[in-house]
Amino acid sequence: MSDLSDLQKKIVIHDNTQPSARMGRKAYRVSLRQPGCRNITQIFGPGFFILTFRKVAYLPMLQNVDLTRVSPWLRLMALGVFILALNGCAVTKGAWLSSGPMEKEVARNRFPLEKSDDVIGRLAVIRLEDGDTLPDIARHFGVGINALSAANPGVDVWVPTAGERLTLPLSFILPDAPRKGIVINLATMRLFQFKDDRTSAVVSTYPVGIGTKERPTPTGQMRVTRKAARPTWYVPASIAEDHRRKGDPLPAKIAAGPQNPLGEYALYLSKAGYLIHGTNKPASIGLKASNGCVRLLPENVETLFNETPVNTSVLIVNQPYLIGQRDGVLYMEAHTPLEKPDAGAIELEKVYAHLRSLEKQSGRTLDWKKVKTVQAEARGIPVPILELEKGAGKAAEKIVQVEHPDKLYGKPELPELKLAAWYVLAGDLSDEVEAERLAAIINHQGPPIPARVLSKQDRHRVIAGPFSNASEANDAARRLKIDLEINGVVMGPVSKTESIALNQ
Amino acid sequence: MKIRMTVISMMLALAATLSGCATSGDLQKMQAQQKLIDAKADQALQDAQSAKAAADAAKTRADEAEKRATERERIADEKAARADAVFQKSMKK
Repeated sequence: MSDLSDLQKKIVIHDNTQPSARMGRKAYRVSLRQPGCRNITQIFGPGFFILTFRKVAYLPMLQNVDLTRVSPWLRLMALGVFILALNGCAVTKGAWLSSGPMEKEVARNRFPLEKSDDVIGRLAVIRLEDGDTLPDIARHFGVGINALSAANPGVDVWVPTAGERLTLPLSFILPDAPRKGIVINLATMRLFQFKDDRTSAVVSTYPVGIGTKERPTPTGQMRVTRKAARPTWYVPASIAEDHRRKGDPLPAKIAAGPQNPLGEYALYLSKAGYLIHGTNKPASIGLKASNGCVRLLPENVETLFNETPVNTSVLIVNQPYLIGQRDGVLYMEAHTPLEKPDAGAIELEKVYAHLRSLEKQSGRTLDWKKVKTVQAEARGIPVPILELEKGAGKAAEKIVQVEHPDKLYGKPELPELKLAAWYVLAGDLSDEVEAERLAAIINHQGPPIPARVLSKQDRHRVIAGPFSNASEANDAARRLKIDLEINGVVMGPVSKTESIALNQ
Repeated sequence: MKIRMTVISMMLALAATLSGCATSGDLQKMQAQQKLIDAKADQALQDAQSAKAAADAAKTRADEAEKRATERERIADEKAARADAVFQKSMKK
């Protein structure tokens, strides 16, 4: 019971004057403030409180329950509340399930492929540290920001709480497609590259960014027609028009370099105008942000480029619901459909028909309630739903605990502040979290704009820079305005006179 | 016999009279007690009413605090969503 003092800080009872929809009568909400879950709430009827919180019933509403003042069995019941509340939190649930030792590394891109298995990789958890953002974690572990957010609902993308446990969705069900060449599943925003050497089959998988709702990535069978390192981007008329309207006209072509959105490598597809390429905006991987092309992280596109010969088959599918088996266990993985939720209905019906057939074949009963929960939650993680052979459930994957690396790969680095440099004041905010979020968003622009928060009493200033000259600072201010709608103020270097005056 | 009857009657009358005197004393005492209890009840009622008023006020304050907290959370969520939307837009080519 040593954790009770911590518990009493976290458990809050609210008097719920609105009748609970679930119970149809006056009910009480018990909230648990727990890292990893923004707001865990369980609803209980008055009877529960008569039994368990009788001794604290006269405490004014909305206050912490002092568990040290209640008898041992009441503490036990309070612990029950705690466990019940934890049950609703996927993050901590994952953490509790992981009983394996801490590992330094976890496989993220390349997996051996067994013919009988449809599921690859292992789920992992990591404890967040101060200054982490979800895009940085996503890039380091080779997952898209969409996948990381879906696996960890409620976790702040830009300012997550240090100490929170984050599920790394590094287990994938292969798309329902022939295992050859490249297969891209738009719904999961993931590319799979199948390779066969003489001894074994291997699959490499990478997160991708895809087309917007207005300019979606096409589905269907294609092939790689040519490849180019350091490609030139010939600006399509539609994009040129978009930029002209934003007041940011583009040249007719952009050569390789930091301004080129194709990045360092491009694979041109047989469907004219569509490419698989790198990016100068790595934080866009896992987003619908392209004009129909498929974007990869710079470090992933290089590998794909080197390992993909011209004429490789490319199949683009859209499968939000996946089922597959590994070691006699049937798994289901659900993603939020790209279009309106009802657009996934046809895909879902296909999966249900497949499940019914598997249920019949195996002679075992499927937990349809669980299937519906997996579908509704759409966490993008393979969840075991049926033991196809008796006792196979024991083989279901354990979650790996991964050590936080000393340095996250690709995390934007902040140059030191210099008095002689130029800066852009991007925001002056009273809310520190808001300021941290704004700085993180600016840091993850492509090409990156360094930004940090300088706090003074109750004001938090977001400063972009340092920039070596006025032109660089003005350019950054222009990008902040066009891309993020921020009216930044350009600040010149601090002169010696100013420095003396400010120090007095 | 007549004299004996008279004596007994007088003794009974005396006893009845004395007994009547004791009852009225008790009555006065009881009335005084009632008054005290009444006054105490008034006080208790007042105390209860003020306690209820204080509890109601505390509950109103707590409800308002919760409402404000919920509102703050909603605004913070909205701001975060808006920031995310702007960020996603900025990730286009």
